[in-house]
Amino acid sequence: MRYESQRIAWWFFATSMLLLCLQIVYGFIMGFAHMGYDVLHDVIPFHVARATHTNLLVVWLLCGFMGSAYYIVPEEVGRELYSVRLAKWQLGTLVFVGVVALVGFHFQWWEGRKFLEIPRPLDWLVVVNVLAFLWNLTMTMWKSPRMTTTSCVLYFGLLMAALLYLPGMIPTDNQTVDSYWRWWVVHLWVEGVWELIMGGILAYLLIKLTGVDREVIEKWLYVIVGLTFLSGILGTGHHYYYIGAPRYWLMIGGIFSALEPLAFLGMAIYAIAMARRGGRSHPNRNALAWTIGCSIMSFVGAGFLGFAHTLPQVNLYTHGTLVTAMHGHMAFWGAYAMLVFAIIAYALPQLTGRKLYDTPLAAFAFWTSNIGMVAMTLAFAVAGVAQVYLERRMGLDFLAVQEEIEVHFLGLVLAAALFAVGIGAYVLQFWRYGLPVGEVERAAVTGDAEGPAPDAAAAEAGA
Amino acid sequence: MLSKTAAKRFFVVGTALCFGAFFLLTLDTLARIPAQTNQETMTDAVVRGKHLWDTSNCMGCHTLLGEGAYYAPELTKAYSRRGPDFIAAMLRDPEAMYPGQRRMQNYDFDEGQIEDLVAFLEWVGRMDLNGFPAEPDLGEVSVPVTSTDSSVARRSDRPQVFNQMCIACHALGGQGGAVGPALDGVGGRLDADYIKRWLTDPFAIKPNSLMPKLPLSDATIVELVAFLSQLKD
Repeated sequence: MRYESQRIAWWFFATSMLLLCLQIVYGFIMGFAHMGYDVLHDVIPFHVARATHTNLLVVWLLCGFMGSAYYIVPEEVGRELYSVRLAKWQLGTLVFVGVVALVGFHFQWWEGRKFLEIPRPLDWLVVVNVLAFLWNLTMTMWKSPRMTTTSCVLYFGLLMAALLYLPGMIPTDNQTVDSYWRWWVVHLWVEGVWELIMGGILAYLLIKLTGVDREVIEKWLYVIVGLTFLSGILGTGHHYYYIGAPRYWLMIGGIFSALEPLAFLGMAIYAIAMARRGGRSHPNRNALAWTIGCSIMSFVGAGFLGFAHTLPQVNLYTHGTLVTAMHGHMAFWGAYAMLVFAIIAYALPQLTGRKLYDTPLAAFAFWTSNIGMVAMTLAFAVAGVAQVYLERRMGLDFLAVQEEIEVHFLGLVLAAALFAVGIGAYVLQFWRYGLPVGEVERAAVTGDAEGPAPDAAAAEAGA
Repeated sequence: MLSKTAAKRFFVVGTALCFGAFFLLTLDTLARIPAQTNQETMTDAVVRGKHLWDTSNCMGCHTLLGEGAYYAPELTKAYSRRGPDFIAAMLRDPEAMYPGQRRMQNYDFDEGQIEDLVAFLEWVGRMDLNGFPAEPDLGEVSVPVTSTDSSVARRSDRPQVFNQMCIACHALGGQGGAVGPALDGVGGRLDADYIKRWLTDPFAIKPNSLMPKLPLSDATIVELVAFLSQLKD
């Protein structure tokens, strides 16, 4: 840690961890309901749990991204944050809006549009909040003596994420048009600009952890994010096959979304190659494990499992079945959850001054949560494929099929328990690190082997 | 070897081209959607129905156009599959229609709102969805319909209300729901008068009946009694 203001990131990370734990609780409620034990139906019916589960995911990931940006950007551009007070205010209001939205869900105050359930007045508050966040970053970068590709890619990703929230608010009475714009938000986020954020954060971590020359890492960063957009933008078409949009989306969406795994494969090869190439072994092996793990699991979850049902011929039968849940869980875990875990694992020792990264607990958290998630994905896969064959291909009744696959949800809940133990270990580790009281290092004594070292004078002035 | 400038150019140009293409396709799609979704038949009732669909978060359990959660049935073709009467009865009291099954919240909709939701589902069901949902193509393997002697077991020869309502809970020839008992041979077990009284009001015969009193007209009951009575082994 080089700048006082980076400490604000800790509070974003801590909020993330708290919301993640809550998300898992709601996941269990749904898992049990699918198993036939919908015991909370009168208090938290399925659609309440579902809206809460997915929105918590979005909020905790955004919180993690914001924390990452507040941690990374000062160090990348070589000056303190523009305003720590604004960052604090922004976290406070984000949490406030989030809590109001989640409590509102329990009183069934919502829009009921998958992933964008939060009511319209709160949408505007989110926009204001994100604008404040972007203003803080913009001013930090504007006033700084240097720009780096990594910080620019990260910034561009966050900016586009904010802009792409707007199409979701275009009013329409036509269900198809509604869905059409909804995917502009959801798809262009997770298979578009969020991957820029991912690329930026991964590049930062690889620069720090492997010691490979910044120029090399950033050059390949451009190639990866280029591939992402080349496939991801028109790949949005895979959501337009069967919702009442023109038939040409079957062709366009099919071809481009079939290319999407390439971007993720590129990301994985990139991370592994840089790690092998790096001569220096950074002591924080745990952060490196999460970084490499993120790139591999995102390829498996988002790339491979996405490809498994993205072709229109396949999707005709899997569209709207549990196969989607299989892909969704591992994709979000691999690409975004593990990414936030990686940056936290890297940042915590610097933020708190405690070097707990090689404890057995850290390794336990990594392996247990990953094995748990792989097992959950398998359970979803078996349930999903069974559903596709019984319901979609043989024409059995929906409820009869659901009863048939209840047993796979027992498997899911068991796997989820293992996953939750792993997450619990990670959160415990977070707790053990304590508050962000780490010393601010002077640039001169860090010895961080980077490409062009940040301007020492500017760093001093900033601190 | 690739330089950083070239890599950056690849990113900028590739992104600009793809986004430009996507933007143009979006304009074209928005121009074509009204025809493909029969927007001219989108009445006020349909619009009110969509609003109810959203504010009740139906997508939190069901899928529509294959989008939503995977806890409750896909409803794109619900109108043609179950008919307006069944959907209305379901919305009035969900748990009465599927007793002891996965539970749906009762929203206490009034009759006007129920009509709006039915109109919305009817409109959605008429969209051109490029072939979705596909007809089950492995069905014949499990259901040897052609081998039975009685032609009444063929779907096309049954009363429409049987295919829409009864089949939701009861099976015939291996096809249908598993909530109530299968109806194969029901005409041999029960006489026509009993079936008629049962369909008119199940609770009059069996106060703790799991089967709900369905919104059936007298003519429909006569049709169903005639059909069910001839289902003999």
